[in-house]
Amino acid sequence: MYQYNDIDQTLINERVEEFRDQTQRFLNGELTEEQFRPLRLMNGLYIQTHAPMLRVNIPYGLLSSKQLRMMAHIANKYDKDYGHFTTRQNIQYNWPKLEQVPDILADLASVQMHAIQSSGNCIRNITSDPLAGVSADEIEDPRPYCEIIRQWATLHPEFSYLPRKFKFAVSGSPKDRAATQVHDIGLHVKKDANGQVGFEVLVGGGLGRTPVIGQVIAPFIAEEDILSYSEAILRTYNLFGRRDNKYKARIKILVRETGIDKFKAQVDAEWETIKNGPLKLTQKEIQRVKAQFAPFTYQTPASIGTASDQQENSGAFRQWLKQNTIEHKQTGYRVVFISLKSPTQAPGDITTEQMNTVADLADQFSFGQIRTTHDQNLALTDVLESDLLALWQQLSSAQLATPNIGTITDMICCPGLDFCSLANASSIDIAQGITDRFTDSAIDTGNLSLKMSGCMNGCGHHSIGEIGILGVDKKGEQWYQLTLGGADNHDSKLGDRLGKAIAKDNVVDAIDDIVHVYKEQRNSNETFANTYQRIGIQPFKDKVYDNH
Amino acid sequence: MTIIKDKSIIDDTWHVHQDDEPLLDNSIINLAYWLENRDSLKANQSPLGLLVEGDADIHSFKDDLSQFAIIAINIPAFTDGRGYSLAKLIRNQYGFTGEIRAVGDVLPDQALYLTRVGFDALELENEESAQLAINKLNDYSVCYQVG
Repeated sequence: MYQYNDIDQTLINERVEEFRDQTQRFLNGELTEEQFRPLRLMNGLYIQTHAPMLRVNIPYGLLSSKQLRMMAHIANKYDKDYGHFTTRQNIQYNWPKLEQVPDILADLASVQMHAIQSSGNCIRNITSDPLAGVSADEIEDPRPYCEIIRQWATLHPEFSYLPRKFKFAVSGSPKDRAATQVHDIGLHVKKDANGQVGFEVLVGGGLGRTPVIGQVIAPFIAEEDILSYSEAILRTYNLFGRRDNKYKARIKILVRETGIDKFKAQVDAEWETIKNGPLKLTQKEIQRVKAQFAPFTYQTPASIGTASDQQENSGAFRQWLKQNTIEHKQTGYRVVFISLKSPTQAPGDITTEQMNTVADLADQFSFGQIRTTHDQNLALTDVLESDLLALWQQLSSAQLATPNIGTITDMICCPGLDFCSLANASSIDIAQGITDRFTDSAIDTGNLSLKMSGCMNGCGHHSIGEIGILGVDKKGEQWYQLTLGGADNHDSKLGDRLGKAIAKDNVVDAIDDIVHVYKEQRNSNETFANTYQRIGIQPFKDKVYDNH
Repeated sequence: MTIIKDKSIIDDTWHVHQDDEPLLDNSIINLAYWLENRDSLKANQSPLGLLVEGDADIHSFKDDLSQFAIIAINIPAFTDGRGYSLAKLIRNQYGFTGEIRAVGDVLPDQALYLTRVGFDALELENEESAQLAINKLNDYSVCYQVG
């Protein structure tokens, strides 16, 4: 993975000291709350319902075991012994003290991590495919490009006071596992007829209040032009994006109001003036970064055993193997997902002890690296099949082997009203209700994506869940709006509204009804998406609203 | 108000012209006034400055840049980043070599970014914030962006 050089390290060290000074001036009354707010947000610090919340970047979802141990150390020293992984591959701490945040940042900097631009109206963490580098269908590993974009975006002097937040996602495979269609800029690695690497560029996607699927603005931008093209998009957005209404300030609204053709013409005109300037990437720079993501040295198949030798050992192991691991491009290896959706923890939460365990297991079984996923789970991506049983045993003892990846209990969930000052409704107790109801039947039901947000800002990505749950406030009471048929794969779709909102006490029953209709109506192994497409929304509507 | 330039507090030799007053030397006039009186003002021999809002349409004055010794860009709220891109265009794309001054709601914490996008003079609220802004210019010894 990418290792900081002196410049990288100096930059984040200096950022720590800058933020220390800003925090001190705020505490001394030299910066007003209004002035400090954007400054702290640009460093990932929110003031939440109970306490500040600090969001730490995990660039493109890649962590070393040393970094994960630092996450554990921070949870232990400054928080309540746990952290929360987000849908954008980052980690959040819900209970730090404001005056200690500079020390947390200094600890992070000691392991080449930071919270720069993890919030605020600026370019956020660059996210990517959690299977980057290990997937057989990959055109190119997207991570070197993510790192190049990360560096360009970090402390960008021109784009730190944008109309609104700005998110990039990069996918290296035709099968989009990075939700690029719902990002402000989505990049798909492509090769042209000459084998030249570049990107199809999507713009104006996003979730939140007005979910929009991104549109193609350029079918192919060569790799050396990706920074200048991104800069042209950002400059156009910075100049023309709306600032009169924060709910209309994302680039998706600008693109919609301007029209994609005119917006593209504006971007192209700007790009023409800068494309041959200093932002043009050299092969030397691309190769410098690529070299840091060289594939691991894998063992050859002849020298290793396979998991099938071990399968008779335990039914529970076999179930986990089937549900929580997938194939690796290298014969003899598998990708292992670590479920953070156990019945006893809030979705995405992980304790100090579990973080340390995962770090140790990564060292023992997976080249010392860990991935974070959009589904708020972790992955060890390079595990020898012959090690799977031993790994499973240790994960099981740490409550990290719930065999539910991809199922209804592997739900995406925002922190909701319990922590977030924006939320209208709670998410975590609904998640718990769903987990309790479906734990025994989840595998039998099959893969089914359920995503839940506590308010229309949509941090839980409800719009693109096969089942989406959105918390709404009705005269001070918590109600929930359900949507069906959303998708976040290479063909993203926004879910359709099922009907009127449902009272809190009836939400789990309503989900149960939906699952029942699916199970009754599906043809053998038919997915929820296909069943839904075939039978439409009405049977679900009838079942849910006739009962309630 | 206190102006800093080249990491020092400087005396402000410029005067912001009000529409109803006679034109003095070293006046900074606003864009509407310029567009209305362009022909007569072009005949004026004394140095002129131009005040534009951060959201000004650069096409309305880009061809006139050589008429001015200073372009002042007003930042209505420190969170409004339009002036940054406008300064970048004026400096890099249109090659303006005179002073580009940030006026309005400017935080000392923004001094470095402002100077990196083409501003070379900043108007701060008072001497204390101006001094702080000068110190803040030294916060970083490195940066990622080029050009």
